[in-house]
Amino acid sequence: MNPEPFLKLDRLIHEKGRLAIMSLLAAAPELTFTELRDAAGMTDGNLTTHIRALQLEGYVSVAKSYQNNRPLTTCSLTAVGRKAFAEYINLLEKIVRQHKPP
Amino acid sequence: MDPNWAVENLQTIRTLMERSAVYRRALAPIMLFAGIAGVTAAAVGIIFRLDSSRAFGTLWLVTAVMVILGAFLIARRQAIRDQEVFWSPPTRRVAQALLPPLTAGMFVGAATVYVLKGDAGGGFNLLLTLVWLLFYGCSLHAAGFFMPRGIRWFGWIYIGLACAILGFLAVVQPAVEINAHWLMGFFFGVLHLAYGAYLYLTEKRNPVA
Repeated sequence: MNPEPFLKLDRLIHEKGRLAIMSLLAAAPELTFTELRDAAGMTDGNLTTHIRALQLEGYVSVAKSYQNNRPLTTCSLTAVGRKAFAEYINLLEKIVRQHKPP
Repeated sequence: MDPNWAVENLQTIRTLMERSAVYRRALAPIMLFAGIAGVTAAAVGIIFRLDSSRAFGTLWLVTAVMVILGAFLIARRQAIRDQEVFWSPPTRRVAQALLPPLTAGMFVGAATVYVLKGDAGGGFNLLLTLVWLLFYGCSLHAAGFFMPRGIRWFGWIYIGLACAILGFLAVVQPAVEINAHWLMGFFFGVLHLAYGAYLYLTEKRNPVA
């Protein structure tokens, strides 16, 4: 078995919570903090921590605005984040293909 | 290393992506098409005086079927052009949400129009219009959970205005006569045109479904 794809997996994305955030953001142009929290089933604190980690790596961008006089935080994947996520998926698919019986 | 882990991860990713994917394909062209059809149908109804209950119901039911078919074709054409799957999970969810209220509204329309063989009068047309507005508003609101947020508000506009007109007619001014074609033309024509134009001007040019 070739362990190379395993070793190449992005460690930042390869965490349950952050993987969920990246997956949700990959399918939508942007999501609000609340939408992300509800869809990923996380607490506010957990989500904030994960988003901050992804933001530091440049995978996620966070925009703050107002809607009906209430603060609105929206998150979206950056081009770097989208590329990293695509590479992560490709590696997973490679692993699956490697182990498929001929 | 268990390879099933990778399969499970991919499945989880797919599920999450499907959950957050929002239908936004060809919304502006569909709204504009529905608006043009609505205004045209209203003009036909007013010019040719299609005021009997049966003529009124038939005109607008035929228009509704044409708009649904047209919307289907517009969305499909865009999917083919963008080399995307037409019957994607967001499309399927939107269709599932729209189907019950639209079917109910059309069934109520068809049944009442054909049960009432003669002309039930302008009051009946007006009532049918308001019932259709309520059903349509509910269908937009239901579909809005899988579409951009504005659609839910658009649904509330139909529901709110239909309730307001119904309340006004029932309580304040029962004797007022409104040509139902004008009302249909405004709600199903002008409002769609306005929303379509708004989407056309504001939509990001990266449609994903």
